[in-house]
Amino acid sequence: MVTLGNLSQSAAFICSLLAMVLLLTGLMRNDLRFIEAGRRALTGVAVLASMAAFALARLFMTDNFQVEYVASYSDRALPIFYKATSFWAGQKGSLLFWAWVLSLYVALVAFNTRKETNRKNTPYIYLILSGIVAFFFLLLVTVSSPFELLAYMPKDGQGLNPMLQNPGMIFHPPTLFLGYIGFTIPFAYAIASLISGKIDPDWLKKTRRWNILSWIFLTIGIILGGQWAYVELGWGGFWAWDPVENASFIPWLISTAFIHTSIIQERRNIMKVWNMSLIVLTFLTCIFGTYLVRSGILQSVHDFGATGLGGYFLAFMIVTGLGSIILIAESYGELRTKHSLESLLSRESTFLFNNVILLAIAFSTFFGTIFPLISEVVTGNKLTVGEPFFNMVNTPLFLLLLAITGLCPLISWRKASMSNLKENFLIPFALAVAGGAVLFITGIRELYPLLAFTLSLFVSATILLEFIGGARARRKLTGESMLLSFPRVIWKLRRRYGGYIVHFGVVLVVVGITGSTAFKLEKELTLQRGETMSIGDYTLKYKDFTSFQDRNRTVYAAILGVTKNGEAVDDMMTERRYYINAKQPTTEVSLRMSLKEDLYLTMPMIGKNDEITIKAAVNPLLVWGWIGGVFMVLGGIMAIIPAGKRRQAV
Amino acid sequence: MKKIWLLLCVFLFLCQAATVHALTRSELEKNLICYACPGEPLNIDRCGGGDQMRAEIDRRLALGQSKETILDFFVQQFGDNILTAPPQKGFNLVAYAAPFVALLIGLVVAVMLVWKWAAAGRSSQGILEGDAEGDALFKDMEEQVEDELKKLEDD
Repeated sequence: MVTLGNLSQSAAFICSLLAMVLLLTGLMRNDLRFIEAGRRALTGVAVLASMAAFALARLFMTDNFQVEYVASYSDRALPIFYKATSFWAGQKGSLLFWAWVLSLYVALVAFNTRKETNRKNTPYIYLILSGIVAFFFLLLVTVSSPFELLAYMPKDGQGLNPMLQNPGMIFHPPTLFLGYIGFTIPFAYAIASLISGKIDPDWLKKTRRWNILSWIFLTIGIILGGQWAYVELGWGGFWAWDPVENASFIPWLISTAFIHTSIIQERRNIMKVWNMSLIVLTFLTCIFGTYLVRSGILQSVHDFGATGLGGYFLAFMIVTGLGSIILIAESYGELRTKHSLESLLSRESTFLFNNVILLAIAFSTFFGTIFPLISEVVTGNKLTVGEPFFNMVNTPLFLLLLAITGLCPLISWRKASMSNLKENFLIPFALAVAGGAVLFITGIRELYPLLAFTLSLFVSATILLEFIGGARARRKLTGESMLLSFPRVIWKLRRRYGGYIVHFGVVLVVVGITGSTAFKLEKELTLQRGETMSIGDYTLKYKDFTSFQDRNRTVYAAILGVTKNGEAVDDMMTERRYYINAKQPTTEVSLRMSLKEDLYLTMPMIGKNDEITIKAAVNPLLVWGWIGGVFMVLGGIMAIIPAGKRRQAV
Repeated sequence: MKKIWLLLCVFLFLCQAATVHALTRSELEKNLICYACPGEPLNIDRCGGGDQMRAEIDRRLALGQSKETILDFFVQQFGDNILTAPPQKGFNLVAYAAPFVALLIGLVVAVMLVWKWAAAGRSSQGILEGDAEGDALFKDMEEQVEDELKKLEDD
């Protein structure tokens, strides 16, 4: 298997180089046979990369600890379930995973475009993609091979970090990777159109689904990561503004901006330079994410430390960034179109402002993330920039973004009249003000939470009115009942309403985050058996203590009886786990979720005679954040479902 | 207009007055780095060094000290690097100001662009004539969206 892995990844590298040579030859000679051969070579890369991936997975499954990577991230006692996920637990395996998925994506593009090889920009798309694939395989073959052998055969491996032994490990890293890697495709289309000189909106149309699909994967990855960090102590809560978390959030923000302005380019054929720049920026920030986890330049609970790959990724980013800037600058004259809008106030202009705010948040997140490096260069002191900084700087920007999310649907495309505006604004504005006043009277007095909830009401009201307006219009047109016209109009205009569902998901995420951060209750107490503690409406009684062996760990567990307002509701078990091969014990969260609030228990310490320290928290409304994530993903999926064939007008 | 400002001031005052709440250890943990594990916030850390810091926080909270006093104590002991957010002074102010400066510049540029495009739109008598080639490419997609929107919006 080691030989198969080594040979296949080396062959994948050679095959990607071969693809480049064939494509370049085809372009220089203007010979379609070479282009076709290059296209087939890209499929070959995917096959070889799949063989390398299979070899690594097999090495994990068969406990081949002579392979240094397997010995570092697995052991015999590790459940088979986690042995499979160990594939991407470390730097080398995750790099192979990246290269493998990228090669599959590229093969898919090669297959989908098999009848378009004669188009002017198709060979350039292949060339760019093969270049990027070759870069990743070059790193695997020369610097960071997961198939390196140890000089001896250890009896057992070092095991997987206990924090990674969580179901989140199955889905969070792969979905995040699928998102990051997916943006390579629209980037290649954009750059290919610049190089080939065939600058039309074709690339945008062809990559719309790639963009949104990658955005969906990135969203799923971020949400699942948050969920995992919430239930696994040590990651710092559902969002800690850790450098690596930020590195996933920055491309998400920029791609969100891109998705919005690409709609304007589709509708109006303007903002071509802007969209080119945004997709380049999205791709570069995806690479920045992988650079950050592999360079060791910033400390993070998620990074791999210094791996020797930082320089390669930095060089790649510099070359790609400069190359893209030069190409955009050279094509500026062709990209520039006669921009004009019918009115100062239109949906188009609000999209531009939404872009500015999204990019300001992306900038503040990026700047805050790298500020320790800047500060070290300027002052000689490498500071830490963490959660309090990002909350302080980004919260007002998020509120501004939320406000504009509500304003956008109220403003018509092309031109909005004042009377039209007044009419559209009245109900949502009145609802939001009334809701805000109720919240104020009922005791929500802190400025940011009050604004967040009020704006959430405003945005929800505008979305609801959009849905009702659409259903009513359809009812008038078709004579259908509201019950029928409501789902039908949503399905008929799924791209548009999918977007609104995403917006509603964002509102729910805001509600979840605001509720759980602004109104969180926390208490830590040391208890003897039989003693109680109370938090919010809950009383916790320490009932029992037990220990047992579970697969690769010894578990010490405390059982707490939970009563709410005097009524017994549940027994909760919180654990300390001692994993084989782990240096420190881990604390397992016990969670009782409800739509109103989560009761969150951990046991940071176990004393003598079964004395325990319990840390209890009540996180109001947090579950709405996860539900919001589901809405965002569903809305995104809805927006990319292809339209059925239209009936011909009679 | 004066009334609106007055109402806004009263509202902000009430909000400000209501934000006084009991300080918790968790709140302080988020603001501090474990001295023994550089770069690791105290709310994540679980090492012995972190336990010492948590015990010190508990002791000072019991004395009724404010957040600023407790954070100042740790800064005196370990320097600015013990904080998770750079102190708002000197060069660090750049970090706090830069995002808002960027936002301001972005907004000004966006307003200028929209203004310019709207002026161009007025001078060319309204409807935008995009790139004909590009429009043709999107004809199908445009048609579907436009037809449906038109029907809905006209009603």
